[in-house]
Amino acid sequence: MISPDPMAAIFSHGWNFSTLGSLWLPNSASSFGPEIQWLWDFWYWMSVFFTVLITGITVWFCIKYRFRKGIRENADPAPDHNTPLEITWSIIPLILMLVLFIFGFKYYMDMDQPPSGCYKISVLAWKWHWQFTYPDDAVTNTLYIPLNTPVEFVMTSKDVLHGFWIPDLSIQRDVIPGRTMTIWVKAIRAGHYKLQCAEYCGDGHSEMLANVIVMPIPAFKKKLAQAADIWMHNGKVLPLHVVGKRVAQLEGCLGCHSVNGARGTGPTWKNLAGSSVQLVSGSATADYAYLKQAILYPGQKMVAGFNNVMPDYYSDFAGAAHKRARKLDALIWYINTLSTHASKTSQPPVPDLPGKAGKAATQPASAAAGKAKSGKPAATEKAPPQKGAAIPAAAMPLVALGKKLYASMGCIACHTVNGTPVVGPTWKNLAGYPVKLTTGKTVIADYQFLRFMILQPGKKIVAGYPNIMPSFTTTLAGKKNAKKLDGLIWYINSLSDKTSKTTQPPLK
Amino acid sequence: MSAVNIPPKPKLNYLNCDKTIRSWLLTLDHKRIGVMYLISTLTAFFVGGMLAEVIRTQLLVPKGLIFHATKHMSSFAAYKHYNQVFTLHGIIMVFMVLIPIIVAGLGNVVIPLMLGAKDVAFPRLNLISFYLYAGGAVMAIVSTVCGAVDTGWTFYTPYSITTETYVCFMVGGIVMIGFSSIFTGINFIVTIHKMRPPGMTWFRMPLFLWGIYATSIIQVAATPVIGVTLLLLILERVMHIGFFNAALGGSPVLFQDFFWFYSHPAVYIMILPAMAIISEIVPTFSRKHIFGYEFIALSSLAIALIGFLVWGHHMFVNGQSAELDTIFSFLTFLVAVPSAVKVFSWMATMYKGAIKLDTPMLYAISFIILFTVGGLTGVILGCIAEDVVLHDTYFVVGHFHYVMFGGTIIAFLGGLHYWWPKITGKMYNETMGRITCVLLFIGVNVTFFPQLIVGAEGMPRRYASYLPQYQGYMIASTVGAYIQLVAFLMMAGYLIHSIFRGRKAPDNPWGGATLEWTAASPPTHYNFDDTPLAIEDCYDYSYIKYDPAIDGYVRTDMPAKPAEEPETAPAHG
Repeated sequence: MISPDPMAAIFSHGWNFSTLGSLWLPNSASSFGPEIQWLWDFWYWMSVFFTVLITGITVWFCIKYRFRKGIRENADPAPDHNTPLEITWSIIPLILMLVLFIFGFKYYMDMDQPPSGCYKISVLAWKWHWQFTYPDDAVTNTLYIPLNTPVEFVMTSKDVLHGFWIPDLSIQRDVIPGRTMTIWVKAIRAGHYKLQCAEYCGDGHSEMLANVIVMPIPAFKKKLAQAADIWMHNGKVLPLHVVGKRVAQLEGCLGCHSVNGARGTGPTWKNLAGSSVQLVSGSATADYAYLKQAILYPGQKMVAGFNNVMPDYYSDFAGAAHKRARKLDALIWYINTLSTHASKTSQPPVPDLPGKAGKAATQPASAAAGKAKSGKPAATEKAPPQKGAAIPAAAMPLVALGKKLYASMGCIACHTVNGTPVVGPTWKNLAGYPVKLTTGKTVIADYQFLRFMILQPGKKIVAGYPNIMPSFTTTLAGKKNAKKLDGLIWYINSLSDKTSKTTQPPLK
Repeated sequence: MSAVNIPPKPKLNYLNCDKTIRSWLLTLDHKRIGVMYLISTLTAFFVGGMLAEVIRTQLLVPKGLIFHATKHMSSFAAYKHYNQVFTLHGIIMVFMVLIPIIVAGLGNVVIPLMLGAKDVAFPRLNLISFYLYAGGAVMAIVSTVCGAVDTGWTFYTPYSITTETYVCFMVGGIVMIGFSSIFTGINFIVTIHKMRPPGMTWFRMPLFLWGIYATSIIQVAATPVIGVTLLLLILERVMHIGFFNAALGGSPVLFQDFFWFYSHPAVYIMILPAMAIISEIVPTFSRKHIFGYEFIALSSLAIALIGFLVWGHHMFVNGQSAELDTIFSFLTFLVAVPSAVKVFSWMATMYKGAIKLDTPMLYAISFIILFTVGGLTGVILGCIAEDVVLHDTYFVVGHFHYVMFGGTIIAFLGGLHYWWPKITGKMYNETMGRITCVLLFIGVNVTFFPQLIVGAEGMPRRYASYLPQYQGYMIASTVGAYIQLVAFLMMAGYLIHSIFRGRKAPDNPWGGATLEWTAASPPTHYNFDDTPLAIEDCYDYSYIKYDPAIDGYVRTDMPAKPAEEPETAPAHG
């Protein structure tokens, strides 16, 4: 199995002995660094001293007292015990051990107790992948750490033991399924470091790495804002299959599933969608339903020739939040683009949702089914022209008020204004458009409807969205607040190209 | 002496008194059982060693030289094979080599001889013990042939419960080997208690027996825990009872507690007999009384007992409470002190001696130096704050190889060379022995010292591939492993050569004062013609004189050998 290339690599690969921080340990970028380095140095020089002492004396005795025929055939008389000497050489090591113990204990207490008000990053580990979630819901595979900020990692594992180990930040802790493990650090030097899995976890253990980037707080915030929205890139809505590829990376699918046909821990995704799959018992066609099931409940239908090692992705993709289900569809779109067998049955249903992200996705799949490798389908959505939307000039201050409220009241968390549906429907092209309700009825989003939906959101639910919006009766109802509520609806109107008298609030 | 003039009368010894295969397989003779153990453990050592060479070869390049991604196989699928290799290496070396090789291998041969006894207390139990070991090895082979295991020798849950490799067979085999270890321990405890010869009080025992006694206590007291733990693991795998799997409501950390409750004391099962061998070799080759007998004897017991209470130092980063971390750290440091004092005592024994640098003594000196490095690197791992930056890195790998290889295996080789003339009745080529020992000493350091450095820099253990910046150290380490391979091949060569062509060994080639040197080389079936008396101090070399006629030593306190007396001589009173 030895191929010639790696053999050549021994000689051609330019390795270098990495710069020793100071006596072996890396130059720590964490606030614990100086303490750990001090104690290490103490131990290091103690060890050098004793190793040289013991080796030196032993070798010296071997030479000085060596057996010489006719000259030195018997030992000189010497005591076979000496209590003061024996006590001395017991006490000295004991004292040195106590020094190491006391400082090791003291410094460990600092490392064990996070200061209050840490910035919290949750860490999820599974075979063989790291995922980091930040307080504002951004999810990344690269660990971004703000500089000079105490950061607490709240960690758990989906399957087996993993080890969270960043040598350059001097932190390590096991990540254990069923438990929440915590560890904290304050990084004091910006830079690029590596996270390595330290606890053996199977096939991909040695590749279970993540980049760690410590950056100043402004850059950190900017990075997270970018990472927060996987549906967008530079302000443009991405086609679903591109989002799917991002999802595949974030969720670590590509560690086990190749996209080029190579055999991995799991089946390759190349030409998977729409093909016939040999299962442990029977066979199946890899259609949309099958792919969905295989991702959510991986143990249920095992593909012949592979082991049951895939963790289930139920919590990542299924459940109430519609955003997750859409991520799953995006992922399946991506799998479809890798297959020449892709067809309507293997593709997710074209999203019947407001906004155009769904429509964009119909193109890549058909393109892929037609001609497999024709480059990126031209699926990027053009921003629909604002048709000068008949907003009377008199209402413009109200629109501005609504825009302000949109951010300050928190609408922004669930409703986008760019056409991307997230937790709730997007506000773009909402007013004046038909909306399908869970009851099956379709209504036009006019002024009354919008008012109703804001004040009593649970009464009518838009199909495909969870019923989680809180009521705004106390803050927006009544004469006192009429201006605010109208402002919001004016703002919604300003985002639609079908705004009209019926959808706009009455102007006084 | 006139011994050379007597025509060589074929004297039956334990090796040639009965030559049938049956007489070997069903033997109750402790020496034959010991030899069978030595052959088995050395075979296991060869297999485990070759696996180590595979591991080192794999790690020559960052992406793996042997197991790596190909057109038809992803890197993960390839690394699975690497994981199986290092798992097998660990299991073989720990359970089939390090634990039995000194106690059951050399110990079986030497203990009754040192006691002047005919056999161990329970010869049949001894044979059962060997067959349990063999049975365990067979189960391990079955597991390996079926598809091996990829859990690491620690079988950490929940990976060991969920992996689809042949864990049950392997674990079952280890449980059997565990029983073998328990039986051996019971046997030796009773033997040392009940079968000491007249005159040998507890504090007149050779230190080897003290070491074996302390070891046997650990074997009997700790091994049942690993047995039960591994049986629970099998139950969990087969019946899905949630002991250790978080998904079933169990606790993965509980397994670690159970596992290390045995496996840390098991470290002392490996190192105490090694220290015991050094305590025999150093005085014999220094021609001088051991220094600090009482301390060395009692420190073995102290290490054995405190050793039961330090297992938590394997778990400093798994989230156990800081209080536990502190207690375990403290006790760990406490264990370090008696080990240090032993080293100082051996050095004091050499002081003003007449040191003969024969092969066994060279191994003893290698042991002292390598064990010092192993011990000192262990000290920093016991320091909690430092363990956080060293845990599960190659520093740990380097540390325990310094202790297990530089300690146990080097001491075993010292003991093997020391008792080789007694066991086989032949002398090996002394020059080759010395050259090989020096080569091995160099090989061990070249292999394991770079691992200490690369570990401190942050490279985790059990990695089939690694970051390119570690490659220099990995190559150095591999070169060391190849040096060791050469040394071991040389050793196998001259030892096998000595069996067929070696000079006949005198009864006491080194001038040892313990009782096994009063028996013939190789001993007769019943060891001694008469029960020897332990009148003299077993570390007093003043009455043992070199006799150039036989190129060996004779005791001046004993009557001429009974074998040379006429048959009609009156029996000893």
